[in-house]
Amino acid sequence: MGKDECKTMLDALNKVTACYRHLVIALGSTSDSQNLREELKRTRKKAQELAVANRTKLTSLLKDKTISKDDRAEYERLWVLFSSSMELLEVDMKRSLEIGQDFPLKVPTRHLIQTGMTGSTTTVAARAMSVQNMKYEADSNIDTADLRDLQSEISHVSQMMEEMEMKVQVAPWAVEAKQEAGAELKSNMSVGNSSVGVISICEEEPKDEEGGGNRDAGFASICAVLVFFVIVTVALVLGYLVINMS
Amino acid sequence: MTIRTVRPNRVQHFRPRTHCFKKLEAMVVEMQDPNSGVKGSEQKLNVNTIPHVITGEDVIAWITTKMKTTPEEVQAFGTMLVAYGYIYPLQNHKKLVMCNDTSLYRFQTPYFWPTQNWVAEDSDYAIYLAKRNIRKKGMLEPYEQAHYNHLHDWLNHKWDFIVMQATEQYRAGKERKKPDRVVFDCQERAYWIVNRPPPRTHSAMDTGPERLIDPTADEKITFDAYRRMNLFYQQAIMRSKVKSSVSLGALAKYVTTYKNHDPFLAPCLPSNPWQTDNDTYWTYNMRRVDVPTKMRVERWSFSLFELLSDLRGRDDFKVFLKKEFSGENLAFWEAAEELKWGTASSMPSKAETIFKTFLVPGAPRWINIDGRTMGLTVKGLDHPHRYVLEAAQTHVFLLMKKDTFFRYLKSPVYKDSQKKALNPESHSFSPAQLEQNAQNRSPGIHPIILWQQEEEEKAKAAVASAPVDIKAMMSKIDRKK
Repeated sequence: MGKDECKTMLDALNKVTACYRHLVIALGSTSDSQNLREELKRTRKKAQELAVANRTKLTSLLKDKTISKDDRAEYERLWVLFSSSMELLEVDMKRSLEIGQDFPLKVPTRHLIQTGMTGSTTTVAARAMSVQNMKYEADSNIDTADLRDLQSEISHVSQMMEEMEMKVQVAPWAVEAKQEAGAELKSNMSVGNSSVGVISICEEEPKDEEGGGNRDAGFASICAVLVFFVIVTVALVLGYLVINMS
Repeated sequence: MTIRTVRPNRVQHFRPRTHCFKKLEAMVVEMQDPNSGVKGSEQKLNVNTIPHVITGEDVIAWITTKMKTTPEEVQAFGTMLVAYGYIYPLQNHKKLVMCNDTSLYRFQTPYFWPTQNWVAEDSDYAIYLAKRNIRKKGMLEPYEQAHYNHLHDWLNHKWDFIVMQATEQYRAGKERKKPDRVVFDCQERAYWIVNRPPPRTHSAMDTGPERLIDPTADEKITFDAYRRMNLFYQQAIMRSKVKSSVSLGALAKYVTTYKNHDPFLAPCLPSNPWQTDNDTYWTYNMRRVDVPTKMRVERWSFSLFELLSDLRGRDDFKVFLKKEFSGENLAFWEAAEELKWGTASSMPSKAETIFKTFLVPGAPRWINIDGRTMGLTVKGLDHPHRYVLEAAQTHVFLLMKKDTFFRYLKSPVYKDSQKKALNPESHSFSPAQLEQNAQNRSPGIHPIILWQQEEEEKAKAAVASAPVDIKAMMSKIDRKK
């Protein structure tokens, strides 16, 4: 069905937008590198492909005059999702252009901001591109060449959004959201449990988070130690019996 | 009809006080120099070590060597760096000051720096709050919860997008290594404390109204501009100026008289409503209060202008003048004010009534002004405009100021007002009471009700003043005889 296809494509676009934002936040800091610039470029390309695909699909669906009112409301909701994603993407692209220009990589004395982030962003980019491992093959002047491409891509995206507004008449304020306040909490049961021991730096943050993590870790380690001692005593007892036997 | 969503083109509107950002950015980049910049160290947290943490003293020392100014200025500069969000504190994250001791700070990533072009948007804030909601499992701080509910109301059409994007960003964030995740959380939290400050904290991001000119762009001054500047300065040289000893003396006198009445320099009694959300101060100082406050009564003694500008003071003055039977000066002054501020259509009729009541020889409330002014005014009333009575009004004002005003200050009416005046005690609210006050704010009296009260009073005054005229006329005729 057209709707499900649309939804999967929108989910993919959403994922790529979120990953792109994570990558842009790392620009200019100590986790910036050649690889990051290449990741940005590839994520951007993927986002654009998805955007074009989404747009054609949604425009064709919305132009169809024979759909029912409920369907139309649903498509308008999807359209608002799509345009908000695109706005976010456009802003992030413009900012990455600015920051990329301010922090070039191939200068002799480069001063990247020491933010404390030192790890690489490979995993985030892999998530965006839906691959297991990222392979890097770019040449060394990626930052300057990439910025030119980026400028043309930004103008491309802005043009696309203008066209979108012209062709499709959707009133975004008329769309009603399906999720109520606090909906994000319900969809994250598994994610919440896996954040045991997420620590916070500031002492003011609730100490029970840290304490909870510590308590759990302490409990687990005590269990492990007990089990170890039980096994050692069993081994000793068996050894003693064996010696007694022989 | 084409439906256009308003996609703001922020490049066209520049916030004027933010043009220092370019210079600050250059300075922050200089701080990163491995040889001559600020030295960072590592922070140990349970099992992770996170590098690039700096102490307040190191930053202050670096700024001192770089800028070579007084310690107070260096301290202020350091605090501005924190307040704008270039450096964020790790320990007391809500208090954005730079402490000159071993407290820990870290640099903020360039994406989260304050910029001229990009304002922190509400939809981004909503995504951040949703992510925080997930992380804290529903336990947001009260002000964050209030923002969340408000944004849910008015960004409702985008709410699906916000929830989806928040969950995706949260999951993407989990792909990074543990120390990076911690740093990212701190960075985001610091960014939003700068851009959406918690209640009752000061924010450095208050800017003035938006301008259409980019303050960071270089301006080329044309030949014509120089020519006009020269003309202006030549004319300025030729103007007569007041001696600075005179003007500064007047300024000093003004400051000494008014310094206790300024709400910035002296505490407002009982309490400043803008700070404590308690509007007792405004109810005590209303237009038609029976007992005015001591500060207000003291202010009336400063000059006749203060007395007449405060309508309650004008009432008091009227009471005094009624006892002295010399109310016609004030009545003329008020009538002239009404003419000045009234509608253009009512001007001819008002001018007529004023002429008949005050200026005609033998009028019921004849004012005593000198012949020349009287001649000018009467001539001007043939073609009445807003300011025909300006000369006469000034003359009457000076008469009142030189004579009646000082008698008023020595009169029993004024002394009575002074004795009865209220001197309220200052409130001292605890922070819990302040929170409660903030929640119990009421909208106050509706202006229509105030206007209706005014109309009733005017009607009563009109009725009351008619018979007095005849009495005054009679007494005047008796005196003339």
